[in-house]
Amino acid sequence: MNTRVVVAVGLGAIGVACVTAACWIHLKAFAAQVLINAAWDRTQQGVVEARPWPWADTTPVARMTFRDWKTLVVLEGSSGRNLAFAPSHDAASVLPGEPGNSVISAHRDTHFRELEQARIGDRIRVEWPDGQRFLFSVTDVSVVDSRANRIALDGDEPTLTLVTCYPFDAISPGGPLRFVVTAHFIAGAGYTPPRRVARAAAFPRPVPLTGFL
Amino acid sequence: MTTDPTPLRERVINWLAILAILLAGVVWPPVFGATPGEARAGTLYLCTMPCGAPTEALRQTTQIHAQVTGDVARVHVTQTFENPSDDWVEGLYAFPLSAGAAVDELEMLVGERRIRGEIKRKQEARAAYEQAKSEGRRASLVDQERPNMFTTSVANIAPHSSITVQIAYLDVIPFRDGRYSLSLPLSITPRYTPGGGRDEGAVAAAATPEHVEAAVQNAQIEIDLEPGFPLQQVNSVNHAVLMDMTGTGRRVNLRSPTVPADRDFELVWTPSVAPDTYASAFAERVGNDTYVLVSLMPPQMAAERTYKREVVFIIDTSGSMSGSSIEQARAALRLGVERLQPGDTFNIIRFSNDATSLFPTSQPAVGINRQSAMDFIDRLVADGGTEMRSALELAFSIPPTLDALRQIVFVTDGSVGNEAELVKLISARIGGARLFTVGIGGAPNAYFMREAAAAGRGSFTFIPQIDQVNERMSDVFRKLENPALVDLQLHWPAGAVATLASRLPSDVYAGDPLTVVAKLSSLPQGMITLNGRSGGGAWTRQLPLRIVNDRSGVAKLWARERIAALARQKNLGGDATEAENQIVTLALEHHLVSDYTSLVAVDDTPVRPVGTDARKEQVPVSAPRGTPWATTGFASTATPAPLLLLIGLAALGIALVLVLPARMRARA
Repeated sequence: MNTRVVVAVGLGAIGVACVTAACWIHLKAFAAQVLINAAWDRTQQGVVEARPWPWADTTPVARMTFRDWKTLVVLEGSSGRNLAFAPSHDAASVLPGEPGNSVISAHRDTHFRELEQARIGDRIRVEWPDGQRFLFSVTDVSVVDSRANRIALDGDEPTLTLVTCYPFDAISPGGPLRFVVTAHFIAGAGYTPPRRVARAAAFPRPVPLTGFL
Repeated sequence: MTTDPTPLRERVINWLAILAILLAGVVWPPVFGATPGEARAGTLYLCTMPCGAPTEALRQTTQIHAQVTGDVARVHVTQTFENPSDDWVEGLYAFPLSAGAAVDELEMLVGERRIRGEIKRKQEARAAYEQAKSEGRRASLVDQERPNMFTTSVANIAPHSSITVQIAYLDVIPFRDGRYSLSLPLSITPRYTPGGGRDEGAVAAAATPEHVEAAVQNAQIEIDLEPGFPLQQVNSVNHAVLMDMTGTGRRVNLRSPTVPADRDFELVWTPSVAPDTYASAFAERVGNDTYVLVSLMPPQMAAERTYKREVVFIIDTSGSMSGSSIEQARAALRLGVERLQPGDTFNIIRFSNDATSLFPTSQPAVGINRQSAMDFIDRLVADGGTEMRSALELAFSIPPTLDALRQIVFVTDGSVGNEAELVKLISARIGGARLFTVGIGGAPNAYFMREAAAAGRGSFTFIPQIDQVNERMSDVFRKLENPALVDLQLHWPAGAVATLASRLPSDVYAGDPLTVVAKLSSLPQGMITLNGRSGGGAWTRQLPLRIVNDRSGVAKLWARERIAALARQKNLGGDATEAENQIVTLALEHHLVSDYTSLVAVDDTPVRPVGTDARKEQVPVSAPRGTPWATTGFASTATPAPLLLLIGLAALGIALVLVLPARMRARA
């Protein structure tokens, strides 16, 4: 057997595996959103325990619509696994619409790919599982160095902070820069500021960041 | 509730679900959707797993009022426990108070009635509380868990009603480094207690009841400041405040009543004329006894330094330091290395789960060593446990530089549970060295900082915010570079026999106040004399003793100091039973909460019907800002998909290039 052929077959196998893995990441991100969205709709129709897939263990906290994006369901806890499925709400922050800063992160090459087009004044609609709706308006778009910054969580006004990696077309993951979109609350249907309440022990926090699947 | 309809779309979804089989996961808790009709807007429910009926969490709000007169603060902490559920609830709340707080008052407010708490031995108070609880009567109990951490238990909170508990304490506000500082701790840094059965001291043996969460707690704060002198400046370090002039003083309120309680409230004020040496003596008569509070601000004198120094920096790189704390610590350390003088030697020890030192022995502060130090500091990452003991042992085991005064600068947030053991270690092995503590972050463990510095014959400093690193580290260096007063002695007027609450320190550092509380058997006539050496020369100061009748509290402060001193002796290996007896006697006489005494308030009339059960809930306390519990970092928000795609395509391309010529060769 020719060494050249062996090397070629080996490289070919690696190539196929890598391309499949890359496609799998996108497929998973897409399929999970479809399933979670469907489960959300069924929840709204009154279905009890509507799970996106039978063994799902994540909790959706809100549904978010940005300009003419596809609607995205946000999951609780920005673990690597949750980020693979959906934009994820940082469990240490308040819920979007509560007074304080609500932090939602997603991958730059899947769910938040379109965040690149965010402009000041853009509207973001947020819907809670119980039907409450909040409207936010983008007030700031910036790029920050994650090594030198942290996100403050307190504040008097309901604020929404959307975070994804930057630059959008970078090849390797794990870069230090983040694309940060800040939006402020402008209206809510029958809005009264939700009371801050003690959070239940059922939501463990801080949520440790696990590695990417 | 409807059943799950399965139209075509649904079947597609089910098919997709099968595709998603490889996705990881476990269960989907029906937090909402289960009872949408009952769930009110914006309310989060407790949901135990497996999820039963949702129950709303017990709510707790805190109001703090501090009356500051001169350098004594009377603080009232009002805690309201509101039960929004349909069950009878018992509330438990662990909260911090300033390390020197002398808690002497508890009142339970039931409707219009105020029920005063009584001081009892800890077990007796607990028994009275438990009995009232089982008989369905309202009761509240205040226990001291650690010197700066207390718990309130409230029994029989009726459904949809509340119970208010008011606690009062007395605190001395020292004049340190040219400013007065009133600190109201609002959050608890979760404590790390090392495993391995090393818990020895009574402090460490206490339970660790803190239940810490992100900043969800709110506090209202009001301070009436009557400093007794014209003010130059009043500042709130961590919170936005509103200030009103009230004659010579100020009334300070939080600008927003809903500021999260994730950092200590700190109010700092400075006199418009800073005295060169500030000294005062106040007395209070209680029966036949006279209690005296002597405050002394030592002179600011820059003496020529005649000795060599060996500075050993110890830096805490445990997980609790991550966030802005480690950045502050790094900045402080860099400044420390820069400030070293030629001729000094130095070393750096970092610790988390383990401890390592920069050099095996301390090295001269020259260019190349400074550069290695800077590189070492840049590489520090906060992660892991807080094994302070190994760091201290390493510091003590490093061979000392000959003919040099060793100064250990310990930079930490002090979030440890084995304080007593560590203080004991420092006290036993400090020898001729001095230990200085630098408390970092929004809520450092002030008790540990003070006790460790006292045991190490040094001083302590706090750096609450990154922009104060320069200023506060300068205070540290001033102290490191020269003690202001040495060989201090205190002489009472002739005929007076004094019992000092704690031992007179032998060295007093520049900027550090000296506070002495003493009990005298008679009312002395004459002057108090302080002697010492300063800058190589003799130093003497005489103070007249002022009797202030309305200045109640000196007796309580004496008792508090005395109790702290006895606890310290006990922790350092003194006679435990003897110390305990003395503490109990003092605490009962002066109505103080201590390690062995608690305040309990019990209502006479039963309210909870016999046969109904009460649930027990613990209200979480806020985590300090700047730690991973209260700010948040950035998630990793890039997938390796583009990289994988690039590698994959490159590999396929090369494979193709390798294969094609081979086939062509075969044809030929």
